[in-house]
Amino acid sequence: MTTPVKLLDFITILPVIFLAAWACLLLLVDLWVKHKRVTAYLAALGLAIGLGLLWYQAAWIGNAGFNHMVVLDGFSVFVNALLLLSGLLGIALAYGYLRRMGIERGEFYPLVLFSLSGMMLMAQAADLIVVFLSLEFLSIPLYVLTAFAYPKAASEEAGLKYFLLGAFAGGFVVYGIALVYGAAATTALDGIIAAVAEGRANLSLLVSGAALILVGLGFKVAIVPFHMWTPDAYQGAPSAVTAFMSSAAKLAGFAALVRIFALAFSSLSDDLIPILWGLSALTMLVGNLLAIPQTNIKRMLAYSSIAHAGYILMAFTAFGNPGVAEVSIAAVLFYLAAYTVTNYGAWGVVILLERAGDLGLEIGGYAGLGRKYPALAACMTIFMLSLIGLPPTLGLVGKFYLFRAVIAADLIPLAVIGVLTSLISAWYYLRVVVNMYMRTGDPEISPEPWALTITGLMAILTVLVSLLPGWLFFLASQARLNLF
Amino acid sequence: MNFFLEPLTLLTFFPLLGVLALLFLKPEWRSAHRWTALVTSLITFGLSLWVLDQFNAASGDLQLISRRPWISVAGWDIQYYLAVDGLSILLVLLTTFLMPLSILSTWTAVEERVKDFMIFFLLLEVGMTGVFLAQDLFLFYIFWEFTLIPMYFLIGIWGGARRIYAAVKFFLYTMAGSVLMLLAILWLGVYQGTFSLPGLIDRGGIPGDIQMWLFLAFAAAFAIKVPMWPLHSWLPDAHVEAPTSGSVILAGVLLKMGAYGFLRFNLPLFPEASVRAAPWVAALAVVGILYGAIVSFAQKDVKKLVAYSSVSHLGFVMLGLFALNPQGIQGGILQMVNHGISTGALFLLVGMIYERRHTRDLEAFGGLWKVMPLYGTLTLIVALSSMGLPGLNGFVGEFTILLGAFGSQAIGSYWFAGLAAVGVILAAVYMLTMFQKMFLGPVDKDENKKLLDLNWREILILVPLLVFIFWIGLYPKPFFDLMAPAVEKLLVGF
Amino acid sequence: MPNPWVFIGLFIIIAAIIPIGAIVVALILGPKKPNPIKQSTYECGLETVGDSLVQFKAQYYVFALAFLIFDVEAVFLFPWAIAMNKMPLYVALEGVIFIVILVAGLVYTWRKGALEWV
Repeated sequence: MTTPVKLLDFITILPVIFLAAWACLLLLVDLWVKHKRVTAYLAALGLAIGLGLLWYQAAWIGNAGFNHMVVLDGFSVFVNALLLLSGLLGIALAYGYLRRMGIERGEFYPLVLFSLSGMMLMAQAADLIVVFLSLEFLSIPLYVLTAFAYPKAASEEAGLKYFLLGAFAGGFVVYGIALVYGAAATTALDGIIAAVAEGRANLSLLVSGAALILVGLGFKVAIVPFHMWTPDAYQGAPSAVTAFMSSAAKLAGFAALVRIFALAFSSLSDDLIPILWGLSALTMLVGNLLAIPQTNIKRMLAYSSIAHAGYILMAFTAFGNPGVAEVSIAAVLFYLAAYTVTNYGAWGVVILLERAGDLGLEIGGYAGLGRKYPALAACMTIFMLSLIGLPPTLGLVGKFYLFRAVIAADLIPLAVIGVLTSLISAWYYLRVVVNMYMRTGDPEISPEPWALTITGLMAILTVLVSLLPGWLFFLASQARLNLF
Repeated sequence: MNFFLEPLTLLTFFPLLGVLALLFLKPEWRSAHRWTALVTSLITFGLSLWVLDQFNAASGDLQLISRRPWISVAGWDIQYYLAVDGLSILLVLLTTFLMPLSILSTWTAVEERVKDFMIFFLLLEVGMTGVFLAQDLFLFYIFWEFTLIPMYFLIGIWGGARRIYAAVKFFLYTMAGSVLMLLAILWLGVYQGTFSLPGLIDRGGIPGDIQMWLFLAFAAAFAIKVPMWPLHSWLPDAHVEAPTSGSVILAGVLLKMGAYGFLRFNLPLFPEASVRAAPWVAALAVVGILYGAIVSFAQKDVKKLVAYSSVSHLGFVMLGLFALNPQGIQGGILQMVNHGISTGALFLLVGMIYERRHTRDLEAFGGLWKVMPLYGTLTLIVALSSMGLPGLNGFVGEFTILLGAFGSQAIGSYWFAGLAAVGVILAAVYMLTMFQKMFLGPVDKDENKKLLDLNWREILILVPLLVFIFWIGLYPKPFFDLMAPAVEKLLVGF
Repeated sequence: MPNPWVFIGLFIIIAAIIPIGAIVVALILGPKKPNPIKQSTYECGLETVGDSLVQFKAQYYVFALAFLIFDVEAVFLFPWAIAMNKMPLYVALEGVIFIVILVAGLVYTWRKGALEWV
């Protein structure tokens, strides 16, 4: 039953609308702006207003909009706040970097905003059609951003590769949606739930559809075996873009996955658990093992981001278990927040050390950092420890939360694989630390105020929030998933 | 009472003040760094004495509790929970006691990046003290893993030629065990509903099979740290490559964390599994005793010799703990302290000769007794203490342990204690061989002829250790009194 | 009532028969008098001149893209225009927003110099 559009419908996606409009406007304003930093500040202003609107919007939590195409719930507000913050961080890191690399073009900032509005819509999508729409909406700007170092061949290659494989994965999502529609005669998530509950749905068709959607979105968040694009795209893209992509796109992809799998397909968990179990174990193993031989920090971080997708995917196995589902969703959110903070910090260090012409990206080039720039090396050490999952960092608390969900779901073998792979990860993360402190060298950094600020701030947050994580636990556990 | 002024909180985190002060000192002011660290560690030692003063030895309960809810949202029950009892008080004192001595030993040995060194050293102290005081599993895990990081840097930056290999090996080995413990901790938290150790002990009732798995998961972390044979292979590398002060702390305190972990967590949390595992642990401990002793005998490198002797000595500790009777456990705890003192002293002595000769090869020495009589005397005393000569501390510990092991129902056979006693003889063999090769005979190397004897700073480092070697050896009652009620209480569950 | 799929099946069969039939009939009945012009590749009735692998100016693509956008815009605008008087106000506004966004795109391309033929 469709109802006419009301003002409330627009309120449910107010920040998304605003951000998209702001991005359009910014694209035009940029045409007459000489100093591109004005565009950057305007973009940041837009994100800040977006956060304000999110705050305002929070009063309407509990509403669905546009005939249940989108919802506004605690989950989406949490994810969207994280997305907006990660947009701000991304812009701050890019600010000096783009100029230094000679690719300071105004389009960068509108593209980030476009992509972000797609991501935010994705977090709110309550209908598979909207999921697909927002998937494309967030992806296309990302493809452009990946190739943003034009005319650098590596960047263009990365962009093209990302685009082709992304389009391919998009096809999987569409096909999956079609199968789901065939099974449940609807693409709305609540409709699917109802169809399953009433026994109207063709379950085998539905499972195939769910699996295909998992493939498509798994591509976006870099789950093995759909990860092939990740190292090349991460390495070829300008580092500031990679920082944004690896945090925000992952966030959005997982938001959509969580909503679809925790709500619509939670009843299929008997069929899906083996798939999720296997994918998660495979992702953790492959991501961590392939990270070991990497000598380029960007590639290493790419594989590390694959591995972390595997950890997060672990929690998905608990979604079918009503007693644990809520905890595991909160664990995913907490881990995503922790990963975002740590990841931006680590990329901040990479950006500070990168020099034009792809120099300063070898892990060996970090030798001597501990002596020359002790504070920066300390920050990087904190990030590496956090990625391993050692105290006193957010990474440990995040893993603690995540493994708790897995254990509560009684999937102890998976948890064992998880901790053992994080042991493997210590091997390559420590190599960075070894280089920084235990070998001699003469690295050179470009002291960009914003990147330095962000790196320092993320390091402080990584430690401080790990010691006082209660409030973030609370927020994550309050970020309830709903369809209303 | 103000949170930070509660005795145990203050004790644990006081070194952070030193770290903070160090951060503001310029890297070139090396002696300022040394003095800051020394004074900080001395005050911390003073604080631990204050804690001892407030400690009621007649009670076996947890005392001086510092406790706050920490993370209590979303079904979590994690507390900030520090407390001390008879099982841990001696180890806390040992930690704070060894710290200033180790820092003194770096006075001339560490010339590079003194600031970083001292920062890591003080951070290490926070972690170690925290491990011994934490009564909440989450808090414990944080401290436990945290000690890894500064030690990793101490070995990796200031260590010997193969320091990076040794540091990474140390890190990965230790972490391998810890992650399994993490899962067990989470299991307890999820299915028993709390992370607080006293709460978990009160609750009890974990089914037997699961107890065994959890026991094994905790044991994985602790056995690697102890280290128990056959998980010891990181130890010689770490010890040989670590700087002297690092070795002292590694042998003196970090290894004790493993044995303490068994005592604090495995025994009370999983009593049934402990009883079932006791013969196996005892068997591994005895293998460790004999293996460590035999391998020690074959070493050419003095430091490696001392390192392997640690494997042997910690075997005694484990044998004592899993005797599961008062003598065994009390002996085990005392032997931890003894080993911290004697082996710590041995590492210091090795470090002193290394500073002079820049080699640790046994063959490079000979006849040092004539050149460095004072050094020789002190080494002899420490070596005798380490091999368990009556009248010195090692004897008391090992004897009590053997007594416990002979009478132990849990271990179930005299053979273990009998074989362990052979280990005592072997200890005499390798220690005396070492002594003979280094000190007796003619001075046949030119480099050895002009060696200077110990200076005042070095004597100052060793004297406190010698005091305890004699004190524990001659009158161990005060030490046993401190732990006896807590051990009684621990054994109620068996 | 028969199964509704029957009609679709019939439709597919008939749709296949008609062209195949036409071709077959032409093959059978048609006179065959080939000459070189008849056998050359059919383009648009004119004779092909030169090689078919020629270089295009890259600007064609930009033009083609811009054209395509406004071409598709028209597809959306027709139904909108027809139904507008039966729809509430916000539908009219949405159309306006749609056009405004496209105009913004036009301004962008224009300002970037993509519309100047060099």
